[in-house]
Amino acid sequence: MRPGFSPRGDRGGGRGRGGFGDRGGGFGDRGGGRGRGGFGDRGGGRGRGGFGGRGGFRSPDGGGFRGRGGGRGAPRGRGGGRGGFGAGKKVMVEPHRHEGVFICRGKEDALVTRNMVVGESVYGEKRMSVEEGETKIEYRAWNPFRSKLAAAILGGVDQIHIKPGSKVMYLGAASGTTVSHVSDIVGPEGLVYAVEFSHRSGRDLLNVAKKRTNIIPIIEDARHPHKYRMLVGMVDVIFADVAQPDQTRIVALNAHNFLKNGGHFVISIKANCIDSTAPPEAVFASEVKKMSGENMKPQEQLTLEPYERDHAVVVGIYRAPPKDKK
Amino acid sequence: MAEQKSMPSDLYKCVYSFLLENKFTKAAQQFLKQTKVSPLDENDESLVGIYDFWAKSPEAKKRKAPNSTAGSKNGPSAKKAKTSAQSSSSEDSSSEDEEAVAKPTKAAPPAAKVVPAKAPAAATKAASSSSEDSSDSEEEKAPAKAPAKAPAKAPVKSPAAPAAARKKDSSSSSEESDSEDEQPAKAPAKAKGVTVTAAKPAAPAKAEAQKKQESSSEDSSSDSEDEKPTKAPAKPAPAKAAPVKAAAAESSSEDSSSEDEAPPSKKPKAGAYSAVPPPASVQKAPAAPAASKAKDSDSSDSSSDEEDEKKVAAKPAPVKTPAAKPVAKESSSESSDSSSDEEEAKKPAVKVTPAKAAPVKAAPAKDSDSSSSEEEEAETCSKDSSSEDDSSSEEETAKKPAAKPAPAKTPPAKKEESSSSDSSSEDEAPAKPAAKAAAKPKPAVPATPASKPATPSAKPAAESSSDSSSEDEEPAKAKPAAAKPAPKPATPAAESSSDSDSSSEDEEPAKVKLAAKPASKPATPAAKPPAASESSSDSDSSEDEKLAVKAKPVATKPAAPASKPATPAAKPPAAAESSSDSSSEDEEPAKAKPATPASKPATPAAKAAAAAESSSDSDSSEDEKPAVKAKPVAAKPATPASKPATPAPKPPAAAESSSDSSSEDEEPAKAKPAAAKPATPTAKQAAAAESSSDSDSTEDEEEPVKAKPAAKPATPAAKPAAKPAAADSSSDSDSDSEDEAAKPAVKKETPAKPPVTNGKAATPKAATPKAATPKTPAKPSESSSSDSSSEEEEEANKNTVKPATPAATPKTTPAAKAKESSSSSDSSSEEDAAPRAATAPNTPTANGTNGKRKKGEESSESEEEETEVTTPKNKKAATTPQTFPKANKKSSNVPFRRIREEEVTVDPRLNDNSFDAKFGANGDWGQKANDVLRFTKGKSFRHEKTKKKRGSYRGGAISQSVNSIKFDSE
Repeated sequence: MRPGFSPRGDRGGGRGRGGFGDRGGGFGDRGGGRGRGGFGDRGGGRGRGGFGGRGGFRSPDGGGFRGRGGGRGAPRGRGGGRGGFGAGKKVMVEPHRHEGVFICRGKEDALVTRNMVVGESVYGEKRMSVEEGETKIEYRAWNPFRSKLAAAILGGVDQIHIKPGSKVMYLGAASGTTVSHVSDIVGPEGLVYAVEFSHRSGRDLLNVAKKRTNIIPIIEDARHPHKYRMLVGMVDVIFADVAQPDQTRIVALNAHNFLKNGGHFVISIKANCIDSTAPPEAVFASEVKKMSGENMKPQEQLTLEPYERDHAVVVGIYRAPPKDKK
Repeated sequence: MAEQKSMPSDLYKCVYSFLLENKFTKAAQQFLKQTKVSPLDENDESLVGIYDFWAKSPEAKKRKAPNSTAGSKNGPSAKKAKTSAQSSSSEDSSSEDEEAVAKPTKAAPPAAKVVPAKAPAAATKAASSSSEDSSDSEEEKAPAKAPAKAPAKAPVKSPAAPAAARKKDSSSSSEESDSEDEQPAKAPAKAKGVTVTAAKPAAPAKAEAQKKQESSSEDSSSDSEDEKPTKAPAKPAPAKAAPVKAAAAESSSEDSSSEDEAPPSKKPKAGAYSAVPPPASVQKAPAAPAASKAKDSDSSDSSSDEEDEKKVAAKPAPVKTPAAKPVAKESSSESSDSSSDEEEAKKPAVKVTPAKAAPVKAAPAKDSDSSSSEEEEAETCSKDSSSEDDSSSEEETAKKPAAKPAPAKTPPAKKEESSSSDSSSEDEAPAKPAAKAAAKPKPAVPATPASKPATPSAKPAAESSSDSSSEDEEPAKAKPAAAKPAPKPATPAAESSSDSDSSSEDEEPAKVKLAAKPASKPATPAAKPPAASESSSDSDSSEDEKLAVKAKPVATKPAAPASKPATPAAKPPAAAESSSDSSSEDEEPAKAKPATPASKPATPAAKAAAAAESSSDSDSSEDEKPAVKAKPVAAKPATPASKPATPAPKPPAAAESSSDSSSEDEEPAKAKPAAAKPATPTAKQAAAAESSSDSDSTEDEEEPVKAKPAAKPATPAAKPAAKPAAADSSSDSDSDSEDEAAKPAVKKETPAKPPVTNGKAATPKAATPKAATPKTPAKPSESSSSDSSSEEEEEANKNTVKPATPAATPKTTPAAKAKESSSSSDSSSEEDAAPRAATAPNTPTANGTNGKRKKGEESSESEEEETEVTTPKNKKAATTPQTFPKANKKSSNVPFRRIREEEVTVDPRLNDNSFDAKFGANGDWGQKANDVLRFTKGKSFRHEKTKKKRGSYRGGAISQSVNSIKFDSE
């Protein structure tokens, strides 16, 4: 991180926020030190560790930082974000063609979502706030290397069918990093049913859901939708990131249970999880074929390169009405 | 009715009566419509009784009756075996031929038993009446022989006769039922076979003048019965063949009997037992082993076995394929097999095919020939029958599952050794029809003389004795009941049998010649004049067989053929001839269709002249030899050639004929194992006591291989004197006697026909002497060695096997006889089967192993023949090992794949999942990352990606273009 640090510092300095820059650098180091262990990093673990570490870290740096940091807590991420992306005054956020998704235009562009919980960073992502008049809008950077949905958006998927007000079933929520962004997209009017089978990941997911009221965490096996049928209503979209050999079946099961007719599905396919011996293209074609047999009509396919290796995302419609095809 | 169909036909009556008794009139009517069964005789055992018997039988434990039906089947067999042992077999047979068969079948020994029973029963049953008729006919044919043999044969015949009258329907049904019964209890099958044989013999005797057609028809009918579904078609063919064979008819009848036996086994398979198929496969495998000698034939056999096992109906085709695959020979054999199968009735054919395949395989070259002959027969009729016989035998073996497999195997083994006789008898019977004329005459004649005499005298006892012996062996293993029955008869028979054998042999010369002539039409004419020649040919054949097959086996086979012939012969000498012919035919058919045709021609020729027989013999011999020795491609070619040659050579060919018989023997051993078993039983029955020598020899050989332990009893009986030394030795002595008679000559003969001459002279006369003396000389050692080895192996293996076989015991015995060859065949079958099912395969395997071992021993033992034999054995052995692995391999060869790329059609636009192939890749926000990550892999990739996740990545401008690939649907 050293290399990165100095640039940031410079940038930060340029911005006139040397302190932040430093801090950000420190943060960055810490993050690097932790490694992106995944859950730990992303979830509360990171937050917790981060805080602790930060405290310790900063104290050496100087009270000023700490005071500020203490005051902001989460903001520190934001600070870093700003520093990193050169947000601040120069930052311009414009909406993406996908409703609810924004692009932060600066020295470097970044994909961002409007933070539903201002001042909170879920997994240490950078935040940038834009002040429009009196209102202060905070955005969270959305790293395509961490989220397949972001990768799909950056890759140029035509439709994600997730927009403000949508009810989304998210299969394979993991620690809730992407779920938090989906939560940002759907906003207070929407709902996200986040299904995750792993309790370890589910713990982080629960922490995310605590802060975001539109997330309904479900720690269950997505193969058995009847187990959580009481919690879930009809949904508009199913997003699936379950790297399982039978993921198409799993999605179909949930679609049959909860997806409205004409609803859509977005499936991320990891070829190696289905058959590591077959060419990815064949695996994708096979999965697409399977979907066709489940009343799930594939509409588009997109590779997730270079953000993910041997991944593809398939978007389709469930029980498309004859005329109402998207 | 589904269930019913799966059940042995023999049980139909029982089921029908059961329904009636319980006032299930509608069901009964329906059943009647579908099965067209005749009401159960009072004497017949009730279904309940059968079931009880089965439930109580040792086998029941081993066999996990899938359902009551299966159980009932088994039960019947077991019961039958017991009954037969008690002499109830005669009753059974009488009560319902089918049922009787079934029961007898159960008491595989039954076959033998049946015979005895019949003899006694002749009085007892209506069937007995039939048996009486047959016996009468036999008696008429061979007075001296007739008595003993007649009884045995008579029973068989009687059924056959009735059956003949009924023909395919009743007889076939009965036979089928028998076959089924046999499956349950191999013995029953044998019994049926015997009956059939008897019937045939009777027919021959009766119709000797008339010719074989009737007998052939009977045979065919029996065959058809065996085949049942297909059978009908096949039977017709057989029948036709029979006519052609005329003389062969007897042999054909024998064949049919053998077939019957086989059918039972097959039926069982077809029926409820899953195991049955395996057995069949096993049987086939055995045959295959034999074939292994003739690699091609083996492969074909195995394939056929496998196929058979796998597909009843489909089997034919598969079998063919396998056969074809093996080599030219195989192909020929296969083709013949397939053709026969096809011709016969593919469904039945399936069974048949298997049988055929087995025969073919068993014979290797010979088998192929036989198979081809079978096919031809099927086409012709006689061929069918023969093929059916083979198939039946195979089926039986296979069906019998464990037990049968063993038996089947045994027969094969026997064939090689004594099995040759068994196999020959079986083979002869089935295939013989076609080949009968040719092959049978020659082998039959020689063998017949000895065997016949024995058979006649002993048949009742002899068969029983032989059966008993076989049974004994089997019983020893697992089937007390069966064994017991057998033993009793056997014992008496044994002694008498030995006497009878000697007598039979003595008679044989005369009878054989006479019988041969009558029996095998061609043979008869030729045979008579040639009688001596025939006998010589027999010896030759034995020698040839020995030489070709395994010398010993050959000898055995010859003996077996002889015995069979004898049995049939009992009827008329012709039987022997026919048997030999059939055997040769079987072999020939199996080997190559061409051969079959040739054989047929030969038959005609034989009919036309004695030469024909000799020719047939020569053909068979050639086939056998080629097959055995040349097995490879040569077998088939040889067969054809031999056939052609046969006609011409015939006269000269006494030796050839002998060779033919030998070939037949070999065939029996290989493919016939199955057939052989049936035959063996018959042979045993016929041979019974003397037969003991013949049958014994055959049996001995067989026994030695398979059930020497059990065999010992039989052997002892037969060869009390010789055996005393050792059961094995007894078996040896038997074999020796045979060997001496046939083998001695055979062995030597192989080298030189002279022995044949000697053999003839000696053989006929000195059946006894031979038994003792000859045995001592070379055969003893061989047979004994083989026996001992076989016994040991058998004991160990058989124990296992036998248990499985319980019902099959009788059959087993035959199998045991064939053991060497059978073992080889078994092994092959096992191999084949292995893939299919572990259980069935296992048993077979065990058998096969034993058989192989035995074979190996025998081979080693066999002096001159050894070399040849050894080779075959070796091949078999090799095959066996391969087989097992194969089974495993099959399952493990194909790695699991969720996605088969060759089965997935990828949209051209989606053919490349890489970033560069994506729209708008150039200048994309992710291009920089791609440049870094595209070349990384593994740990470095992870490292690089981790860095990207930290948020330090800068990709430049983000475009909102749509780069996804839309599906047409949208």
